[in-house]
Amino acid sequence: MSSPRTIRFTLNGEPVSATIMPHETLVDVLQHRFDLRGARESCGQGLCGCCTVHVDGKPVSGCLFLAVFADGARVDTVEGLARGDALDPVQEAFIEAGAFQCGFCTPGFVMMVKQLLKEHPEPTDEEVRHYLTGNLCRCSAYPEILDAVKLASARQAEAARRA
Amino acid sequence: MAVATAPDRKGIGGSIRRIEDARLLSGRSTFIADIGRPGIWEVAFLRSPVAHANLVHLEKPAGAEDRVFFLADLGAILPIRADSQAPGFRRSDYPAIADGKVRFVGEPIAICLGRTRGEAEDLAQAVLVDYDELPAVADIAQSRNPDLPPIHPGWSENVFLESRVDVGDVDAARAAAALSLTRRYRMNRQAIVSLEGRGVVTYRDERTGELVVYSSTQFPHVIRTALAECLGMKERELRVVAPEVGGSFGVKNNLNPEELALAALTRRTGKALRWVEDRREHLIASAHAREHRYEVTVHADGEGRVLGLEATIEVDAGAYSVWPWTAPMEAGMAIGFLPGPYAITSYRATALTCASNKSPLGPYRGVGRPGACFAIERTMDEIAAALGLDPVEVRLRNYVRPDQFPWKSAGGKTYDIGDYGASARAARDMIRPERVAALRQEHAGSDWRIGIGYATYLEQTAHGTAEWVQRGLPVVFGYEQAEIHMTADGMLVMDVPIQNHGQGLETTLAQVAHDELGIDPAQVVVRHGDTSLAPYGMGTFASRSMVMSGGAVGRACEALAAKIRKIGAHLLQVTEENVRLKDGEVVAAGGASVPLAEIAMAAYLHPERLPDTVEPGLSVIASYRTARDTGAWSYGTHAVLVAVDTGTGLVEILDYAIAHDCGTIVNPMIVDGQMMGGLAQGIGTALYEEMPYSEDGQPLASTFMDYLVPGAPEVPRARIEHLSIPSPITRYGIKGMGEGGAIPPPAAICNAVNDALRPLGAAIDETPLTPDRIIRALMAPQAGEAGA
Repeated sequence: MSSPRTIRFTLNGEPVSATIMPHETLVDVLQHRFDLRGARESCGQGLCGCCTVHVDGKPVSGCLFLAVFADGARVDTVEGLARGDALDPVQEAFIEAGAFQCGFCTPGFVMMVKQLLKEHPEPTDEEVRHYLTGNLCRCSAYPEILDAVKLASARQAEAARRA
Repeated sequence: MAVATAPDRKGIGGSIRRIEDARLLSGRSTFIADIGRPGIWEVAFLRSPVAHANLVHLEKPAGAEDRVFFLADLGAILPIRADSQAPGFRRSDYPAIADGKVRFVGEPIAICLGRTRGEAEDLAQAVLVDYDELPAVADIAQSRNPDLPPIHPGWSENVFLESRVDVGDVDAARAAAALSLTRRYRMNRQAIVSLEGRGVVTYRDERTGELVVYSSTQFPHVIRTALAECLGMKERELRVVAPEVGGSFGVKNNLNPEELALAALTRRTGKALRWVEDRREHLIASAHAREHRYEVTVHADGEGRVLGLEATIEVDAGAYSVWPWTAPMEAGMAIGFLPGPYAITSYRATALTCASNKSPLGPYRGVGRPGACFAIERTMDEIAAALGLDPVEVRLRNYVRPDQFPWKSAGGKTYDIGDYGASARAARDMIRPERVAALRQEHAGSDWRIGIGYATYLEQTAHGTAEWVQRGLPVVFGYEQAEIHMTADGMLVMDVPIQNHGQGLETTLAQVAHDELGIDPAQVVVRHGDTSLAPYGMGTFASRSMVMSGGAVGRACEALAAKIRKIGAHLLQVTEENVRLKDGEVVAAGGASVPLAEIAMAAYLHPERLPDTVEPGLSVIASYRTARDTGAWSYGTHAVLVAVDTGTGLVEILDYAIAHDCGTIVNPMIVDGQMMGGLAQGIGTALYEEMPYSEDGQPLASTFMDYLVPGAPEVPRARIEHLSIPSPITRYGIKGMGEGGAIPPPAAICNAVNDALRPLGAAIDETPLTPDRIIRALMAPQAGEAGA
């Protein structure tokens, strides 16, 4: 049997540490050690995107990513997006576009869209669909999610012009 | 479907933003897996790896006797018994965990506890089970095979029920027909798939003495009733709560054996327990859907008018009858809905509900109707093709006309109102069939074939007492209740027994309250899903909540408004007839006003300010039934343009248009979202989703690699037109619409694919229309219509 080890990482901007077993996944550690429940396991195989979080600025499937590999990394979750009561512009766009229904998959979509807009500030429809192939929404708000991405992109561009 | 713009209406008809959104987006809301208790144990079920077997010997791992539990360890507990009232129904008792026998792969055998789910799963692997395997019934064709063992004791054949309909004069129709066609159709078995699986948390509340059952369910009050019966407990000893529910679509609308098992074990041991279904469990062991086969014979005159309809319908309902729906519900819906929107008066059909060693069949968005719609709408296209007529024209010749309502259908249903032809013409105008010739020209010489397809559907919603009695279920879902309280500071709390799991009901019920009370929806809190908060009610399913709960909330608010007006008039020193509720105030004709907060203050804290005739307090409980029990009928026509790659068998949706009528629309943004979500699931049924079984009853799809759920690239943006004829039988004229989007897409898409393939002599009549099936249809022209 393997033994526990302590990992240290930056979680939503704060330095944290946890003593974990080597087989524990990042989504388990976030849920059970840090009570961050926005990233959720749905398929357990990296096929649905519900557990998407960012590690060192890149989206990963938290259900497959072993927590030990987060040692020394920067981990960002949906809980870190809002500033006080002010939601992130991507979250705001999801509300305005009606881009979700039950909300279970939504944190994963939001985290993937953050990455998409970082890499493609003004994405085409094809780029949006391509980025979102790994995220499933059974309520199937896909067209509205596309609207939300376009809305967030436009706002981001507008904010950049003003800055 | 543009991005919702700023709302200009807050009440019924306004696209206001959803009240529930911010908490869902923050990641901080509470789904079943997020509910903990001190000392809680994680549950893993040992599930059967074989389809059909007697359990000869069960043995707990040494040293873990207090963490592994078989049925005998759960105390006095009745099996789940979902009896249909239909004569000839064969009973199946569904135990909480296996009672000496397993009947499908995935059936629970033991409850195993661990401090982590992994620990509990390891324990499940260490349980010794000796299986005496029996031959499996794995296909509808085997249900009457006398060589196979009965699945349930005392059964003479593996059939739950055979039912018949015979109305009008089919023989005369056959004799008079210019055209008689026979076609066979298949809609294969599907998983339902909510992204949050099922889940249960149970614990004992020492303060109240209640056994508390949190369950990811659509109908907590009904679950409490069923659990009380199976556990031999009083309802007051049980509290059932549905927390945030991460999608459902019907799969959480059954009494699950897992709910019963955890509740029984907590009662027996006092342990707090949590079971969170994983994806494999969900795909193989939660209720499945569809699996219909049809042989349809239609008799028509030379102009394509249907004179008579004959059908044999077979449904594989799996191993057990699910509570409260019963196994025959699916086939019963199929036989009742097969005549569809058409004025068919001669109809003879048989519906066979077969049993098999597969997971039980339960309700899934559309229930029975996607299959029935598939069969009748494919048949309408076949009539058109045989007579060389336009498929929309054939439908227009056959629809029930607007002047014929209420229409008593050959399937025994009463349609309330509609203009089916208007929906077909609108869908045709949107899809523009005149484009097809040019598209075909453009792709001439390539592998791409262009096709256009239509399907009209009916969606019976919010049906009441008489309809549910007719279906012969153990529970009659005839009404809904709501309890509302104005708080002492003038805001509104509404406790409703329905369950919002993505439908936006917190918002739309607040919109109803706005219309009745003039209160801002942002000042309204809707609490749902908790038997300790709301009065008894039936839950959210069958496209009923907006009509039924909206009606109950409307009635409660109306009564509260009357009281508020009385108090307000008294405070303003005017007569009651001279005040109205507007923008959070009682306003007198002269313009003087008093805010709701002041009225609430008087009602609760200053009764000396009340008129003598008014009791203190501002609470109302109301119940609501529709004016007639036969349901409010939404309907519509889908039109789709596809391209089929005859080289690969892939289908691409080029354009999709929907024209529908769901009566008065409460929130257009939410209605569009429901319609799109249903469409996407219908596309899944049409093209991708299938739960196949091997000959020995092994499920062959247990991950999202082999069970294909549509993603962003597979779901096109449909154009939606609302026709909106108010229902004559519901408050506000609302018709339910949660399921309609999922009903016609398999029919419309299959019609379009057949339209594309017809010049090649190929036909396909089986969903999903996988590349493999399309290629096989192309390789065997004329054979495709056999549906194999």
